[in-house]
Amino acid sequence: MQTFLKISIFAVIALLGYTLFANVGIPQVRPAPPPAEEETIGAMSMDQYIVLGKKIFEGKGTCTLCHNPVLGGRAPNLVNMHNTSEERLKDPRYKGKAKTGEEYLRESMMNPSAYVVAGFGKAWTNDTESPMPQISGPAVGLKPAEINAVIAHLQTKDGGKATVPLPTGADAAPAPAAAEAAAPPAPAKTAEEALGKYACGACHKIGAFAGAVGPDLTKIGAKRDESYLRRAILDPNADIAQGFPAGVMPQDFGNKMTAKELEMLVKFLKAQKG
Amino acid sequence: MGSFLKRRFIKRQAVVTAFIFTLLLFVPILSHLIASAPDTINASAAFAAEKKEAVESPAAKKEEKSKVEYPPAPKLKEKDYPRIKSMNSRISVWILAQIHLFFAAFVLAVPIFVLVIEGVGKATGDERYDHMAHEFIKVSMTAFSLTATSGGILVFMLIAFYPDFMKYLASVFGSVMIIYAMLFLAESIFLYIYYYGWDNMRYGFRKWVHLTLGLMLNVSGMTIMVLGNSLATFMMAPSGVDASGVFTGHVWEAIRGPLWNALNLHRFIANIAYGGSVVGAYAAYKFLSAKSKEERAHYDWMGYTANIIAISALLPLPFAGYWLTAEIYAYSQTMGITLMGGAFAWLFITQAVLIGALFLSANYYLWCGMERIKGSERYTKYVKYIAAVIVICFLVWFTPHSLIKTPIEEKAIGTHHSLLGPLGLMPAKNSAVNIMILFTFLSFTLYKRSSKITTAAWAKSGVAAEIAIFAVGIVNIIALGIYSYMVTSNIKVGMSVPQVFTTLSIIIAISIIESRMFKNAKSTGDIEWGKMPARSQYALLLLAVSFTWLMGLMGYVRSAIRQHWHVNSIMRDSSPDAFTPTIGYAANVVSISTILFMLLVIFVFWLAQFAAKKQEA
Amino acid sequence: MKITSLSLGALGALVVYIALRLSKGFALASIADVYILFMIAALLIYIPAGDKGKKGSLLVLGTLIFFILLELVRPLIPRSLLNVYNFFILVTVLLYFTSKDEGARDLMAPIKATLVGSENRTFRTALFAVVPLFAALITFNIVRPSYEAPGDTRSIHPAPPSSVNVFNKSYNLLTLKNPLRDDAANYAKYVKEGGEVYFKNCFYCHGDKLDGKGHYYHGVNPKPLPFMGTDTIAQLSESFVFWRVATGGPGLPKEGAPWLSAMPIWEHFLTEEEVWKVSMFIYDYSGNKPRTF
Repeated sequence: MQTFLKISIFAVIALLGYTLFANVGIPQVRPAPPPAEEETIGAMSMDQYIVLGKKIFEGKGTCTLCHNPVLGGRAPNLVNMHNTSEERLKDPRYKGKAKTGEEYLRESMMNPSAYVVAGFGKAWTNDTESPMPQISGPAVGLKPAEINAVIAHLQTKDGGKATVPLPTGADAAPAPAAAEAAAPPAPAKTAEEALGKYACGACHKIGAFAGAVGPDLTKIGAKRDESYLRRAILDPNADIAQGFPAGVMPQDFGNKMTAKELEMLVKFLKAQKG
Repeated sequence: MGSFLKRRFIKRQAVVTAFIFTLLLFVPILSHLIASAPDTINASAAFAAEKKEAVESPAAKKEEKSKVEYPPAPKLKEKDYPRIKSMNSRISVWILAQIHLFFAAFVLAVPIFVLVIEGVGKATGDERYDHMAHEFIKVSMTAFSLTATSGGILVFMLIAFYPDFMKYLASVFGSVMIIYAMLFLAESIFLYIYYYGWDNMRYGFRKWVHLTLGLMLNVSGMTIMVLGNSLATFMMAPSGVDASGVFTGHVWEAIRGPLWNALNLHRFIANIAYGGSVVGAYAAYKFLSAKSKEERAHYDWMGYTANIIAISALLPLPFAGYWLTAEIYAYSQTMGITLMGGAFAWLFITQAVLIGALFLSANYYLWCGMERIKGSERYTKYVKYIAAVIVICFLVWFTPHSLIKTPIEEKAIGTHHSLLGPLGLMPAKNSAVNIMILFTFLSFTLYKRSSKITTAAWAKSGVAAEIAIFAVGIVNIIALGIYSYMVTSNIKVGMSVPQVFTTLSIIIAISIIESRMFKNAKSTGDIEWGKMPARSQYALLLLAVSFTWLMGLMGYVRSAIRQHWHVNSIMRDSSPDAFTPTIGYAANVVSISTILFMLLVIFVFWLAQFAAKKQEA
Repeated sequence: MKITSLSLGALGALVVYIALRLSKGFALASIADVYILFMIAALLIYIPAGDKGKKGSLLVLGTLIFFILLELVRPLIPRSLLNVYNFFILVTVLLYFTSKDEGARDLMAPIKATLVGSENRTFRTALFAVVPLFAALITFNIVRPSYEAPGDTRSIHPAPPSSVNVFNKSYNLLTLKNPLRDDAANYAKYVKEGGEVYFKNCFYCHGDKLDGKGHYYHGVNPKPLPFMGTDTIAQLSESFVFWRVATGGPGLPKEGAPWLSAMPIWEHFLTEEEVWKVSMFIYDYSGNKPRTF
């Protein structure tokens, strides 16, 4: 009986030691709770939609677990996808059904094996099978509207144009292939033309216009530098001139203007020294 | 087994080793064969159907319509889970499943080495083996009925707490479940005849019948295990169903999931190690409470044999685990990163402590065992170096990648630790575990040598060759480890394969040289069984306790990397218990399961003793 | 009572070990741990035993040598890790010493002699006084209120994003190279200009010798990164440096939490070209090359 007691005490002490170590010896990381199941995406502007896409790309979509150059390139690095997606359609190895770049991007998430970037296929499949999970499948479980947001992010992050339809808030059936967006208007040739095209003068006093809703811009070049001006156009709420309410100026110029137009305007404004 | 290791039985040693390895290979190879067979059947059926369609397509189409339609996986809400007052569904099922697995692993493992030992007894004609095998199986008899009972309770609990999940699982695995239950019947029949017929079929031709029965017992047991594994791997990495969970109708596809074979091998090896350690604990207890000298000698020998079984299975276990992890990564990188880098990273630090305890206690038992051998003095001086290497390797293995620093230490150390940082990475750990295995093997080799003096003329050059092989191998392992730091991560991962290969080659090469060198060796005298300090028996006990707890912890993480899924990515767990707990919480549940299991095991051991005593009139 | 040289050595080792622990600038109470308690108790038992206590003194000495070596490792090993290291070293040494019957007997005999023998009365009293007192010190050390913030496990070298939006542009951090490095003819000029940027902006924290010990060195936590040596910027690609400079402490990803770093968001204060120049300067000055793979 004494032996039995000794053994029991020994075993219990060993167990207590292990339990204690697991409770005290290591940090108690509290894993994230299971993600909420139903998430609908309300109506929003394309800007917000792209931001949402970026968030999903880095968060819920878990894309950066693999599409991340620093982790040793488990998956292709996604740059210039607005061009790459179009080029892929012409690649002889492409096996999918997509007709446009946007459709290609959607297909690459729904059916990753349709095109496998050389060197990134599953081992021994000679790049015919992709290790990537189906993104709408429950492993990641993105809704169609969320997939569209990711497409918008991929298309725009390196200077492309988002072609996906905006979410309606209903988020019902899978979004149909995006209706071909209306052809963009021709870019302006001079700064003055751009002022007219984007209706800056409707609010601001600038050039030939004499708007009075927003700040007077006739002397702006003396006070502000180029980068401030650029940001003021792209992100008007970043810095609000004294006495004017925030959120009045449209926030989507970044998507509408061409880089050339933007630079022309910045230069033009910088030259306005009164 | 000590005398079995003597030079005279060199052929038998080879036969038994070959037999054990065949057994090791048996399960995966068989499962591969079975798994691919239906493919050909399916293919030929499809071919036949195609032909048929070509001849009479309307009829074929009609047949299509009458096909069974399988439901998709249900999408559950919280209210779909029955609540039973004052019972937590997840913890109840968790503990019950864990206890069931402890028992199941034990009763599956014991017949494997009982059969091997019985075979050895038959081959050598040494009665002791037969007695020991008989005693082993006696221990597992009561455990067998407890396995069935705990399994039954588990099933009822699953049905009570998770009816929808069980319903879906049955819609895919219904046929497997029935076969599983039937096999259980078959296994009990074989076990009962095997056990109760032991004395009846003791000699001659009948012994062969008895051995065959033992083989059948193992075959049915293994089949039960691999079928049970298929349910577990289906929940982790579903196959044979589409993305919404609709069953394709081919049950083999569902069974043969991407993780199935890896898990089969890992559990097979781990079961043997685990079974060996539990029997070792039984022997330790009997040894400590033994009254007579004969009894002590018998249980010392039994504990030694059990320890050898446990260690030989423990050595390849890390590699089997490595394969399973690689398969998990291949199936889903997200799952792999969750396992190794996410919330569970610290769990592997806890595992490192446990493995350290296992290696240290196994080695300690061997060192203590040298005491009972005359002639061991020649080798005990090396023990301190072995101990130093093992503890250093263990410390490297334990070093976590992210350190817990107080702000003061953070200031003193800075942002990056130039020494411990690299040690926290995989290459250092792989090298350390390989070296640790090799030095444990060295302990074992020295132990075996202790009682022998070689007479071979080439002994000197033989030892020199062994030392050279060992040294070159270790240098190679370290060099590969260092080289891994200089290459990109995808090559780095592959570097562990040549390391493992080096370790295995060293073990095989040295074993061959050893057996040749000591073929006609002089004996330094018999091993004095029973001359063993009591503290060494506590090492055996620690081995069993650590193994049990570790098994619970690693079983938890295997299952927990599914996170909030019943069936990964197909059927969501919407119950309030779907969250992933902290490691401390999990460890507490594992400890409770272990204590409950130990209480039941004590009951089993007590029963074995109780039954042996006759009441005096 | 005969004091052997071995027991003197063990005593010396303990003194050295305690001194090392104290030299790390911690309060007296923080040397109160079970390992030191174990050593003190062991010495109280084995030193009076004279020749019979040789094994015990050897055990203490051997263990302490390992402990001292670990204390001497620089950069220092965090205490949380040392506790586990020490535990396993002590256990292994104990296992080694008790693996032979003779060793186990040698270790046990002085313990029995001290606890029940009639000779060692003084030492028994000392043992029974020191052990509870020291245990009380350990308890006090654990429960004593402290101003020290709890340790955290933030990742110092977090994985950067694949691309970063700074200076109103999107940069692909995988392929990003320092454009000024191509202009080899003006290398010296860029480095000089980078040096000017450095001493106007960076040196307050990172130091005039780039050793991370600037004027504000003592005031910030985590400490400013030193650039000298081969294990900081030498291990990083230049795009990583660009990212860390441009987005500063607030630009750290989730693994870098909590965001205590005082590094400013330099894209607000410097131009893109200035960031590249200063990067060239710190690599040039510290004699390192950016990592290219």
